[in-house]
Amino acid sequence: MKGRSMATRFITDKLGRAGLAAFGLILAAALCAPTQARAASGDVQNGAKIYNKRCWWCHGKKGAADGPAATFLVPPPRDFSMGVYKYKTSAPTTPLPRDEDLFNRITNGMPGTGMPAWNDVLSDKDRWDLVAYIKSLTDLFGKEANPPALDFGKKKMGADMVEKGKKAFQDAKCFECHGQAGKGDLTKKLKEDSGIREWPRNLTKPWTFRGGNTPEDIFSRVTNGIPNTQMNSFAAATTGNGKLSEEDRWAVVNYVMSLADDSKKVKDGVTVVKGILRDALPKDENDPAWDTAPSTAYFLVPQIIQKERFFTPTNDGLKVRAFYNAKEVAFQLEWDDRTKSMPGDPVAESIAWDTLTPDAVAVQMPIGTFTGNEKPYFGHGDTSHAVSMLYWSAGTVQAPNAAKLFDYTGSGKREEVDPKTAGFATSASYKDGTWRVMMKRTLTTANKEKVTQLEPGQYIPVAFANWDGSNGEAGSKHTLTTWYWLLLMPPTGSEVVVIPVVVFFALVGGQLAAAALMKKK
Amino acid sequence: MQFLKPILAIVVAYLLIKLGVPFLGSLMHPGTWPVVPSAVMKMYMAFIILGTLLSYTYSEEGYNALIGPIVDVYSNPAKAAIKFGLVFVIGAFGAFVAYQYVKPTFDPPVELRSVHPAPPSSAELWGKSFQIQSLKNPLRDDKANFAKNVEEGGAIFFKNCFYCHGDKLDGKGHFAAGFNPLPANFTDVGTIAQLTESFVFWRVGTGGPGLPGEGTPWISAMPVWHTLLSEEELWKVIMFIYDYTGYAPRVTTEVK
Repeated sequence: MKGRSMATRFITDKLGRAGLAAFGLILAAALCAPTQARAASGDVQNGAKIYNKRCWWCHGKKGAADGPAATFLVPPPRDFSMGVYKYKTSAPTTPLPRDEDLFNRITNGMPGTGMPAWNDVLSDKDRWDLVAYIKSLTDLFGKEANPPALDFGKKKMGADMVEKGKKAFQDAKCFECHGQAGKGDLTKKLKEDSGIREWPRNLTKPWTFRGGNTPEDIFSRVTNGIPNTQMNSFAAATTGNGKLSEEDRWAVVNYVMSLADDSKKVKDGVTVVKGILRDALPKDENDPAWDTAPSTAYFLVPQIIQKERFFTPTNDGLKVRAFYNAKEVAFQLEWDDRTKSMPGDPVAESIAWDTLTPDAVAVQMPIGTFTGNEKPYFGHGDTSHAVSMLYWSAGTVQAPNAAKLFDYTGSGKREEVDPKTAGFATSASYKDGTWRVMMKRTLTTANKEKVTQLEPGQYIPVAFANWDGSNGEAGSKHTLTTWYWLLLMPPTGSEVVVIPVVVFFALVGGQLAAAALMKKK
Repeated sequence: MQFLKPILAIVVAYLLIKLGVPFLGSLMHPGTWPVVPSAVMKMYMAFIILGTLLSYTYSEEGYNALIGPIVDVYSNPAKAAIKFGLVFVIGAFGAFVAYQYVKPTFDPPVELRSVHPAPPSSAELWGKSFQIQSLKNPLRDDKANFAKNVEEGGAIFFKNCFYCHGDKLDGKGHFAAGFNPLPANFTDVGTIAQLTESFVFWRVGTGGPGLPGEGTPWISAMPVWHTLLSEEELWKVIMFIYDYTGYAPRVTTEVK
């Protein structure tokens, strides 16, 4: 099905509308007929067999989303007994999804959730049989035929549509939930019809779009909304009263796609924070100089290793940059966080469901000079290998921006160190759903046993932790990364230029000399 | 034309090793592209170039056919333009090779790690000592409750383990990508399929920090499960992962 949407895009770009119309007819004839037949004739018995081996652990034995794993998941598993589906491509007039919607979710999974793509272990037939069985778990579908697909109308892509979409985004007040920069930094409390808390999608991270990120997927979301949530259908014949015309919905699709920020996507094999030598370090976390440093993106995963374990994170990534000079190192830590959690902050307090705790971030490195053999245990070190932690907390409105320096010799075994020991200072700001924190400290310290000693050219293990104070994250409940590397990039020596130049002239000279000899002969 | 033959022979040999060998490998193991290591490549090419030149310069005519055009280009005043072009190209190529050698490269240190290190003879869990070699899963004898124990083990797995080891037990749970080493893939023939239940019991029970040094305990995110689960729960979850994947635990037979 993924292949189909890609093909659709290809055809649209290459052949234009006439081609699209012809292609659409063929597509409808070729795809709808057999798939409808397949879903209707799905083997419910076989579907049940697969379900009872693979699916019930989350979705429950009778499909009521009450399997053993259910309470550990955000978003929670779908409740099949209700028959309400979030991601559907049927016409807005019907509450039912199309069979293809169920099939596609099983096939492709849902990024950022516990639902994996099943296409590697289940055959096409098995997946269709599952669709038939899942539909049988509610009487909502009854004997009704597969509902018709929504009308995608005239798909339009282009730079002018991005501009148009920017305006439509304002007209329909999308920013109230998705934020002015699209990062889901909401301004009001949101909950699903079932009563559970919901978080609007961060539109700058299309790889986390649950229902897919093709233009057609996004158009479906805007047109149909997400049933059961506060994401409404924005479909209307004309724009106005918070609704959008078909053309404006395509414009919003264009605008949403233009918001993608690839720098926050984890790149395969990119695991090193590369610190760049710069005489004058940035003056704060928003200094334009930061844009000249390479950035490295890391996954944040919840602390599921030690009591109290934590399973339901909101923040999913951290972007890191570093500069250093002869004396100091400066880190810029940047992450998308839907809330500026700071006790006393009126907006944060108004969105908070539970006690609001401060947002925080920490950088962990081995204490002293890393020798390159054994690392400390990545969770706070161990008795024979201590770690040093640079910790920043948003603090409270009365006392913002708290910087602390800790030594750890295992979980819970910590000692506070005077930040002045390492000249540790921080600055921070929150804007449009993004925290930026700068941490600065000296490369080395007088007492080498208390703090990490940083030497340019050396690979130093580094790990990060993050707390979202609007998500009940405090103490051991937080997100983290495993060990990665920090490298303060040594300046390139002159030999990199000199040696190739010498080789060049030696070869040229040698050949000319040889030529002269040959001529004499 | 005689002049081009050895060059063509060398190029063909290079392509055979550079592309042909990985191609054969990809046929044997689909989805892989096993390239020849660069050190081996250099050695092969040195022999090939030397051998080719030797065979082409073996006779007087062969030698002249090869060397003649070169001497001609360097000494014939009518071909001065070609000469200077060649001199420049060879010089630039040498400079490029030299740059490749001296330019700084930044590859993070590789951490060698034994995935299934030898277990200790005994391990301390729940304050009790377990003899790993002779340890048996006590629930295996309870044939009447097998299905019940497996299902309970499954519930434990899906409350505790699947975040990393995955819904499909393939090591691709929704938090797996945040860890290194990646969580074990139980459906792979290289994990539980080749291990005894007592080994799995030790690995799960003592977790990452229970590994010996060669298993790099400091980077494993595996929790110390005996602090979070009971002994019976541990055996049940082990029964589940074998049952779900369809593998039988490896058994040790005593040699008499």
